[in-house]
Amino acid sequence: MTDVLSVLLAVVPVLLVTLLIGARGVAAMRTTSDFLVASRRISPTVNAAAVSGEYLSAASFLGVAGLVVKDGVGALWYPVGFAAGYVAMLALVAAPMRRTGALTVPDFAEARLGSPGLRRLSAVVVLVIGCLYLVPQFTAAGQVLGVVSGSPYWVGVVVAGAAVSITLALGGMRAATYVQAFQFVLKLALFIVPAVWLVLAVGPDARAAALAPVEFSRFAAPTPVEFRLETSVVLTEPTAVAVDGHPPQLLAPGPHEAAAGSTWTFPAGAAVPEVGGGPPGGPGWGRPLLDPGDAGHPVLATWSVLVATVLGTMGLPHILIRFHTSPDGRGARRTAAITVAMLGAFYLFPGVYGLLGALLLPELYLSGATDTVVVQLPARVDPGWAGALFTALLTAGAFAAFLATSLGLLLAVSGALSHDLVPGSLRRLRFTPLAAAAAVVLLALPAASIDVGVLVTSAFAVAASTFCPLLVLGIWWSGLTARGATVGVVVGLLSSAGVIGVDLFLGSPPGLAAILLGQPALWSVPLAFATMVLVSLRGRPPAWATTAMLRLHLDESGPGRA
Amino acid sequence: MTRQRRVAVTSPQTRLALSSRRGGAPAVPPHLSAGEAERARRIHRRQLRHALSALGLLGVLLLGLPLLLAALPELDAVRVVGVPLSWLAVAVLPYPLLVALAHWQLRRAERAERIGHPGRTARARSTRPVRPG
Repeated sequence: MTDVLSVLLAVVPVLLVTLLIGARGVAAMRTTSDFLVASRRISPTVNAAAVSGEYLSAASFLGVAGLVVKDGVGALWYPVGFAAGYVAMLALVAAPMRRTGALTVPDFAEARLGSPGLRRLSAVVVLVIGCLYLVPQFTAAGQVLGVVSGSPYWVGVVVAGAAVSITLALGGMRAATYVQAFQFVLKLALFIVPAVWLVLAVGPDARAAALAPVEFSRFAAPTPVEFRLETSVVLTEPTAVAVDGHPPQLLAPGPHEAAAGSTWTFPAGAAVPEVGGGPPGGPGWGRPLLDPGDAGHPVLATWSVLVATVLGTMGLPHILIRFHTSPDGRGARRTAAITVAMLGAFYLFPGVYGLLGALLLPELYLSGATDTVVVQLPARVDPGWAGALFTALLTAGAFAAFLATSLGLLLAVSGALSHDLVPGSLRRLRFTPLAAAAAVVLLALPAASIDVGVLVTSAFAVAASTFCPLLVLGIWWSGLTARGATVGVVVGLLSSAGVIGVDLFLGSPPGLAAILLGQPALWSVPLAFATMVLVSLRGRPPAWATTAMLRLHLDESGPGRA
Repeated sequence: MTRQRRVAVTSPQTRLALSSRRGGAPAVPPHLSAGEAERARRIHRRQLRHALSALGLLGVLLLGLPLLLAALPELDAVRVVGVPLSWLAVAVLPYPLLVALAHWQLRRAERAERIGHPGRTARARSTRPVRPG
């Protein structure tokens, strides 16, 4: 019961403040343009806080630490890519994109290339990216609330969906900008303060042990493992396991099936069973390269994630629209530069949670619940009031993370639906988020098993293979034609989303193919670029294309410009 | 007392983009005078060069560092204040480098924007706009 209470104490204030700031924004909102870009009176620093607040999702707050426990220190390359994306954004996209005046990528496609067909195609891509990004946010919400309060998974998913869609329908983006900026500060504090406390509270022995990982091969204490999904467990020696609180039974070595939702309690000193993939601290875990599933190509796997995250950032629809709240191109560029520093400060800390989690909660890798490591750590370090307090703070931060990202994504998705696919009025735009949130909740309910960080990276791969070449070539090359852009986006979409879908549903092949199919950005991005260039070279851009491209590089206050 | 009427504030570019919502070509084809087009061309060339060099450095950092860590596994054993050096190379080192790269690129891009724009140079240095005449 006290658990439910602490969740309420953690989550309700976040929701209330979000709704309050949302409600204040209603009065100022009158037209579609107001709704979408908050009248553009936002300074680069506030806007950068809003961008960071929107960007730091459940994948950053929970997923990275979880992946460190599961895959090893190499998972820290994910946040490096997440932050480095803004350097690419700053160099290539921020200012010219702001100067197009286009609110979204579909708008850009039509403003720069004059093709309504490409606009609709881009809107479809926005929906694909939005779903790949939104579903894991809601899954994470369900998992965290489930772990902390003991409530069923679906309750957390539904609560998150309701909170986000009500805020959006009441306040729109005027509110979202301030909500996001507020949530960045909140998340930064709620991530850093508990991390410092954890490092101090675990004591010098644990600190030294976390930095010198040993393989998790024996349970140090009687350990309950709650399997969220049906899991195949291979015991390496006869083990007395208590299933769901029944008296311990001696299980023979060999494969056993753990039913979804069952709890197996292993005695102290028992050998850790195998569930596929190496355990935390095992050989290769401490290597600072990504090698999921021990495929044996760590450099390629790391590069693939970096290419996807760095180039995908500039194509994320909920982030791009945020740059339009800058007054001009210069402001947008400064926003991107400040964002790099803000994200860099945050990303110094996921590793702390990951290393302590691998030391103190290695059994999470058995149950597949590594995404909850951040909120489970305080109670493990201190079972008293301090642990409960920091659990509540981290839960609040995690909830702020889903809220912030989901707000922006739902706005982008509903913008694509009611603006580009089915053009409509403000009223439609206000209520589309409700429908979109309901759809995402339905998608998230059966998706409990997917790693937050991995699915989010798929969204980056799709953005990197579609919108990145469209924006970069559209902004820097006058020879891009509408046909070239269309064919390139289709090829990029199929080779990223299509391949990831095949990989998810049919299972991944072993070795090198697993990397190329699971993380296709390394080849799908060059393929999309090449397709756009080659198809464009076979056609002829319209006469106004050069001017349309050049004006994106002229600063707004130049002579003779409105 | 009537409340002040609120109006939508959109930039001229946004209005242009929105007005071309329907139909193939933009309703108002973009236009630049000959002088402006020439200046835009110079800025575009220079910005492209800046962007490519910044991206090149980003590529060297992000593709080179994993390669280095793969080639030198002995870095795992070197410890700085107890932390393996190779972990610091992933968890800490990239962020200050990224911030420095972003700052450098921002300054170069803003400077390139002032090409052929003598009035802007003075204005950009002082905080208050310089009044002409």
